[in-house]
Amino acid sequence: MSQLTYASIDQTILDTLSPAKKYYWAIVAVLFLGVLFGAVCWTYQIFVGIGVGGQNNPVAWGTYLINFVFWVGIAHSGTLISAILHLFRAGWRNPIARAAETMTVFAVCIAGLFPFIHLGRVWQVYYMLPIPNQRLLWPNFISPLMFDVIAISTYLIVSTLFWYTGLLPDLATARDRAEGMRKKIYRILSLGWTGTHEQWRHYTRGYLFFAALATPLVISVHSVVSWDFALGITPGWHTTIFAPYFVAGAIHSGLAMVLTLVIPLRKIFGFEKMITTDVLENVAKTIVFTGLIVGFAYATEFFIAWYSHNIVEIESFRWRAVGDYRLEFFIMVVCNTILPLFFLFKKIRRTIPLLLGISLFVNLGMWYERFVIIIGGVAHGFSPHAWGLYRPTGIEYGIMLGSFCLFFFFFLLFTKHLPSVSMTEMKETVS
Amino acid sequence: MNPGQYIMGLFKEEDSTVNAINELEKSSYQFHRVNSPIPSHKIMDALKLKKSKVGWFTLGGGIFGFLGGFALAIYTAVQWNLIVGGKPVVAIIPFVVVGFEATILFAVFGNIIGMLTQTRLPSFKDLEHYDPRCSGEYFGILASCEPGQTEGLKDLFKKSGGEIRTFSEQS
Repeated sequence: MSQLTYASIDQTILDTLSPAKKYYWAIVAVLFLGVLFGAVCWTYQIFVGIGVGGQNNPVAWGTYLINFVFWVGIAHSGTLISAILHLFRAGWRNPIARAAETMTVFAVCIAGLFPFIHLGRVWQVYYMLPIPNQRLLWPNFISPLMFDVIAISTYLIVSTLFWYTGLLPDLATARDRAEGMRKKIYRILSLGWTGTHEQWRHYTRGYLFFAALATPLVISVHSVVSWDFALGITPGWHTTIFAPYFVAGAIHSGLAMVLTLVIPLRKIFGFEKMITTDVLENVAKTIVFTGLIVGFAYATEFFIAWYSHNIVEIESFRWRAVGDYRLEFFIMVVCNTILPLFFLFKKIRRTIPLLLGISLFVNLGMWYERFVIIIGGVAHGFSPHAWGLYRPTGIEYGIMLGSFCLFFFFFLLFTKHLPSVSMTEMKETVS
Repeated sequence: MNPGQYIMGLFKEEDSTVNAINELEKSSYQFHRVNSPIPSHKIMDALKLKKSKVGWFTLGGGIFGFLGGFALAIYTAVQWNLIVGGKPVVAIIPFVVVGFEATILFAVFGNIIGMLTQTRLPSFKDLEHYDPRCSGEYFGILASCEPGQTEGLKDLFKKSGGEIRTFSEQS
């Protein structure tokens, strides 16, 4: 980090905005095809009906809501890194803050799509908006699903504004070094930022308030998502630990996704001097911490089920561990709580392929955590005659594939068109 | 800006910029502004800047959001006027969630309005006497002086370790 100068930071980051090579566009095209495939699957579902998915009695919430919770969770660590660590003045977050914030914005966008997909009759989405929908009936804000609409919409707007505000000085730097059409575009996007002392005076204050507001917001959003479940009386869902459990899990998955995105990014764009192994190691240490919280939550759920003497809860958790979804449960426990413990070893924390590999497994584990919670709860409820199983259909897998392609499609476009590392914050780090 | 000769001292170091600001304050030259690639607390302290008023906009937005969020939830519940889940029609505890989220949302809107109005953005007119290097690796101090005093001002910047850029009236 000490070898970096302001000029070398600008040079390295602005070089990434140079016209892309053919293989970049080839990958973008492949991802776009994946997005199209997902869109075709969704269109098919709209025309044929929601029954083309695997959701049915008793499991009415399937992969669409698993993916919704998964993507909202992914978003969270972006805000942790950009806002919470900003308040704590953790300098190591500066090189990865922009990528993490961008991940947040795109992940919330993708998450926001899934309630639309899950609705089936998507054209009736306006029922969720705070307007009188039919016969002057308004949405009922007692429902946790309406909490969700308000929380996710707020999170999307706030994280987008926060991200854009952080970009302003960098867009001005790009503007001052670009030519032709690019200069015109950056000129509009930078809103005329010139970095005068008066601008910085108000900007730093406003940015601090942004971080201070985003911090409680991020905690509230995944708490609200957890209440979609916890406020129902379904066994396995109706528990008070869900809010902190979901928030920790969200940050756990998001940090893993940060590693998944940032490790190839630093390799491809030559950011090794900025996104150093120390930075990645700090993310890995945080993953150990969140992994331990998640593991503790898993254990607490089982303990409380046993301690409650409630036979329905006991059966629900027995079935979770050894029932039809035991494989999913096993993947969840191993990937989320055991594999991250390897990060306790310094050598593993500093070996890039292992960091990437374990981060991928944590992503996988966190997807399965949502599967185990959502499906496991409703599939094995109070009445044995209403028990049932669920498997996603091809259409659901197609839509899921499309969502992942859309996320990486957006991220790839971002890396070549906007500064993927914050030049301003990097300069602050070296100054 | 007042008529005269505009000269910008360009510095690579934050400390030398602060030094030049302090020297400038003691002199009779007119200080106009600093352009910098990063927010510098040292520079802000040297310029003795007052605390920004952005927070008042944020607070105003937050209060509006808090009241508006509760008002929306209560108004819609009264339109239903139907007991759901054994909760009262106006159920304060669930409405805290709506009130909280609206507080954050409108506080952020207030924050944005505060930042835009205070920084006078967006502004697509070219800033007078601006050096594009100041968004990269230089801290630029813009000052002006009477035509006969230019050498003195240049010397002041040079002594603090700066490079000089002289602006013609058109630049």
